Amino acid sequence: MSTPFEKPQIISHIQKSLNYTIFDSKWIPCSAKFVCLGNLARGTGVMQIYEVARGELRLVKEIENAKPLKCGTFGATSLQQRHIATGDFGGNLNIWDLEAGEAPLYSVKAHKEIINSLDGVGGLGVGDGAPEIATGSRDGTVKVWDPRQKDAPVANMEPGEGEAKRDCWTVAFGHAFNAQDRCVCAGYDNGDIKLFDLRNMSVRWETNIKNGVCCVEFDRKDINMNKLVATSLEGTFHVFDMRTQHPTKGFTSVSEKGQKSTIWQVRHLPQNRDVFMTTGGAGNLHLWKYDYPAQRSKEDSEGVSMGVAGTVNLLQNVTLSTQPIASLDWSPDKKGLCVCSAFDQSVRVLIVTKLNRV
Amino acid sequence: MSVSEVASLLNQDNSSATIGHHGKVPVEHLDYGYIEKCTHTKYLEKILRELRSGEEGMYPHLIQFCEDHLRTLDPTSRALRKEQPIATAGSLPTEEWTEISQDLQQWQEEAKDYEMSRRPSAMFHNAGNENIPPIRSSGASVPLGQNAASKAKKDPPKRALPRDYSQWDTFDVDRECERIDGNVSKKDTPAVINSGHVNIKPGVDVTTLTEKDKLLLADREKDKGNEAFRASDYEEAVVYYSRSLSIVPAVAVYNNRAQTQIKLKHWHRALQDCQRVLEQEPLNLKALLRRATVFQHQDRLSLAAEDLRAVLHVEPHNATASDVEGDDDVATEDEEKAEEHARPVDRRQLAGGEESVVTPVERGDMGNAQKKPHGGHHGDGASADTNHGSTGHFRRGRGGSWDKHKAAGETPGKAANGTGKRGSTASEHGGGGGGSKGGGGSAGVDLDAPCGALPPPLARLKNEGNLLFKNGQFSDALGKYSQAITGCTDSGLDSPEDLCILYSNRAACYLKDGNSQECIQDCTRALELHPFSLKPLLRRAIAYDSMERYRNAYADYKTVLQVDDSVQAAHNSVNRITRLLIEQDGPQWREKLPDIPLVPLSAQQHRREEPPTAEALQARADRTASDTARRAEVRFNALKLEGNDMVKKGRFQDALGKYTECLQLKPGECTVYTNRALCYLKMERFAEAKQDCDAALRLEPTNKKAFYRRALANKGLKDYLASSADLQEVLQQDPGVQEAEKELEEVTALLRQSLDAGAGASPPTAKPRKKVPITEVRSATDSTPRPPSQEVDNTASINLQPADAYEFGQSLNAARSQGNAAACAQLLSSVDPEQLPQLLGNQLDGQALGFVVEALDDHLLARDPGRVYRLLRHLRTADRFTVAVMLLETAERRRVTQLFAHLSAVQSADFTKDDVLNLANKYII
Repeated sequence: MSTPFEKPQIISHIQKSLNYTIFDSKWIPCSAKFVCLGNLARGTGVMQIYEVARGELRLVKEIENAKPLKCGTFGATSLQQRHIATGDFGGNLNIWDLEAGEAPLYSVKAHKEIINSLDGVGGLGVGDGAPEIATGSRDGTVKVWDPRQKDAPVANMEPGEGEAKRDCWTVAFGHAFNAQDRCVCAGYDNGDIKLFDLRNMSVRWETNIKNGVCCVEFDRKDINMNKLVATSLEGTFHVFDMRTQHPTKGFTSVSEKGQKSTIWQVRHLPQNRDVFMTTGGAGNLHLWKYDYPAQRSKEDSEGVSMGVAGTVNLLQNVTLSTQPIASLDWSPDKKGLCVCSAFDQSVRVLIVTKLNRV
Repeated sequence: MSVSEVASLLNQDNSSATIGHHGKVPVEHLDYGYIEKCTHTKYLEKILRELRSGEEGMYPHLIQFCEDHLRTLDPTSRALRKEQPIATAGSLPTEEWTEISQDLQQWQEEAKDYEMSRRPSAMFHNAGNENIPPIRSSGASVPLGQNAASKAKKDPPKRALPRDYSQWDTFDVDRECERIDGNVSKKDTPAVINSGHVNIKPGVDVTTLTEKDKLLLADREKDKGNEAFRASDYEEAVVYYSRSLSIVPAVAVYNNRAQTQIKLKHWHRALQDCQRVLEQEPLNLKALLRRATVFQHQDRLSLAAEDLRAVLHVEPHNATASDVEGDDDVATEDEEKAEEHARPVDRRQLAGGEESVVTPVERGDMGNAQKKPHGGHHGDGASADTNHGSTGHFRRGRGGSWDKHKAAGETPGKAANGTGKRGSTASEHGGGGGGSKGGGGSAGVDLDAPCGALPPPLARLKNEGNLLFKNGQFSDALGKYSQAITGCTDSGLDSPEDLCILYSNRAACYLKDGNSQECIQDCTRALELHPFSLKPLLRRAIAYDSMERYRNAYADYKTVLQVDDSVQAAHNSVNRITRLLIEQDGPQWREKLPDIPLVPLSAQQHRREEPPTAEALQARADRTASDTARRAEVRFNALKLEGNDMVKKGRFQDALGKYTECLQLKPGECTVYTNRALCYLKMERFAEAKQDCDAALRLEPTNKKAFYRRALANKGLKDYLASSADLQEVLQQDPGVQEAEKELEEVTALLRQSLDAGAGASPPTAKPRKKVPITEVRSATDSTPRPPSQEVDNTASINLQPADAYEFGQSLNAARSQGNAAACAQLLSSVDPEQLPQLLGNQLDGQALGFVVEALDDHLLARDPGRVYRLLRHLRTADRFTVAVMLLETAERRRVTQLFAHLSAVQSADFTKDDVLNLANKYII
């Protein structure tokens, strides 16, 4: 390699082994702390808060939950409160005040089965709209919750009578660029991707990528939707240009075969929406950059505008572990800092350098 | 091995064209020389894979060499992606890691401090959430399959099989057509383009946030702006930068916004942003460079040069600045000399500068002139008036270098525009000198430029007029044009185009002077000379409009749009006038309009497939006539559809009524006849069905359905011959109709039977068809005597109510073949004895007689001896009776004797013993 240090480098900063299976890790906004969510050997859930201090991790707090915790988000809380919302194996949506006691502030039996994924919007100054949490569950439904309303979801996206219930693996908010517009994108185990428009309460777009959709994420939640990345079970990911929706062809996409194994997660750099990291089933991380085409839309043979997809370039790839990396979270405050958790029961704090130069 | 084969094998090594991509890589290719020459990336990747696999041995250096070569050819090749272990602190240079870790450490400290400071205020902030939008109206449910359903509607399943007849019965041509049309029109839905930056709130409410949070948000908005900028969404970027600035006004963001405004060519705003940056940081290089760019585009080169020099002063090796400066080099020298003079000019341009750059290229032809604000030109002209001395001098003095600089630094169009403009002001005062500087924009400046077929003096007059017009001296221009027109007519010049332009230009002058009446006259004259000329039409429309003669204006605007439908002003005016006219004239406003002429295709500049106005005209002309027809059509279709529906539901009587109504509306519709025929068929009214089919065939002599249905009707009417003829016709037209084939077989069989039945078969009548049961007899060969009960059961298959000789014969035969004497007795008891000879016809033979006798003796005698007597008496008169008696076999004769013995033994009021004896004599010979 001729110029190894020109490219961004992924550096392992801290690694810590845990005594439980960790599913998700999230930075607490405006702090050097993060939350780990997982499953203790005795079948209960656990939430731990760690602080990064002088190259080490210091356990700040531990909370135990009746059910294993699968996923969490800070997306719907204010910068002042910083309450985490979690989804567990029993289908419960809980909101916790990390500084207060051990009982959740808000708790609702959101789904009949495990909550696979959740996402929040409207908090942390992200977007202007109401704080909302979307949950996707194995029971086939996607629900949207407002932390100010107990017991009932504010929107419910469920299969109709007689339709097969597909396992919803991932949900993501996007298009929240003003107080009214908002979209939820959901990915299912059969490869379906559905985009729900919460303003019109309708399915705005759907497609199928042929393989189970492990993760979807908009490049940025609080802008006029721009790009959507969807990762799949067999290692391909698709980047959709969400600016131009053709009436029949939908959104244009570019796909890239990242790795041979499942891509568990995709996370865009909070400071630059065109850079994103994918985490693989073989314990590897790929850092990508999306380059826009010269013209983002063109006219098809009938004169209808359709999007033009750009290209995806690999910036860096590393192998961390032999086990799948189930989650990754970029620090919203410190560019290049991220925390990732793998199924080898360890959590790692990584530093990605030279992100300014990409 | 031939010579050529050997040669090709040898050549293979060096020619990548002959490489087989599927086979193994030959060992010879794993070679420095080959790899170096190979330019085929796919093949190189293959070689690399082969090398890495180690099957031919490990050559680390060769692998490295191959990778390097591949990287030079295709740096993004997937084969170059290697699994890499994660870097650690140790894999970085020490100083770099120190930097990173210190940075991280600092951030950790800051984060901690921030949290400490934030904690006490957390309680306080909990209350301040009142500006959050309300909770979404809850419980809204979105079915997942919403789109799937509509998709299914869009793509009807393709039929693989041809429609069968039952589908043709319900086939509705109109509906099919509509469906197909509908599919086409659905495709016209436009693409959704998410350009929602217009809906983004320009400011952010941050009153409840702490300073730190504000910085955070401002930073995030700036990031969004940067991203939008990188994606070339400049307008969106401006919105986000502005949002960021509304939270925290930061120098960097102003700077970025300036750059974005430059991209958008909003020079004035870009300048403002640069100034704001420089107010706070007078030596901000980026801002200086950007301001230089803005000045350059505003043609304020001295200021641009100043800024660039400032940049070079701070940073002598700034590449961008020296590049731009380099272009400016020649200009700068002159600039310095002319600075004193240039300043006042530049100052003045500061106010109107942005405007003048943005306005499009102006030409001698005045089409564009009236679309633009004229105040601006006035101003330009006036300012040039007062300062003409210095301007003229300055521009002339450095004309050469100016052009050079322009060509190097800017787009040629811009340069031409700028020069042309200046040239025009200069030439007005300095004589014809401006022409020599002429770029693309100076055509109108050269007063002696040739104008179409006009002789030079007239052309000059016209050009002078154009110039005056451009300078806003409309009445002077008017005079020039008038002179030109009189000159033109006096000289007897035959150039209608030029005259038309002159009239049109004079009309523009009149229009500007507010003399709409004259303007209309001139436009009309111009249009007489050159019909459907765009500009006179537009001017006349404006004139009519200003005189509030909206109907005429409307007609003219419409004509303009026919000629060129991209004239936005005309569109707007049409919309406005339509509203006015509707207010004024009510819903019938169209009827009061003057005729809108139809523009010939040759005159249309933007030809569309169907000019909508032409369509509208056509429609209006035909409207009254077609209205009633259409209404009838609609009713007709509705009735027909209802009829079809009822047929589907099996309500033939109702359907019949609907179809009959249909035919009253439109007697010439073939399908309705065939449909009604179907109803008649279903109701077994064959004669009427046949009539309808005949009618349908008169309208459409080859209608298959009509033939088929007439065949069915004929069959019902027992006219098998005609039926088979019809069916053959159907099959001739379409040999694949299986129904017809089957029906034909059946009819042929019936036909044969009826022919076999011979003369006795009654001719076809209009009576409803009866089923002719032809049952195969399975028990005929049964040798064991069956219990009587079963015999009785068998009668079910025998028609005991024969209507004619044929059926009687059939029944009798059936009974006889079954040996079912009871059935025969029943049959005989049901018929009128007097009719018996006719019913039997010439069918009577010895066996039949014997069977009848048996039946009478065994079954009927005990019940009704009187009837037996009467039957026997009449049977004697039947045809062939004597022959049959003679042919009786011994056993049967005995039977006959037995019958008469039994009969004579019966006491009855109907006959005497003598009668029986007399009769017996006839039977027993």
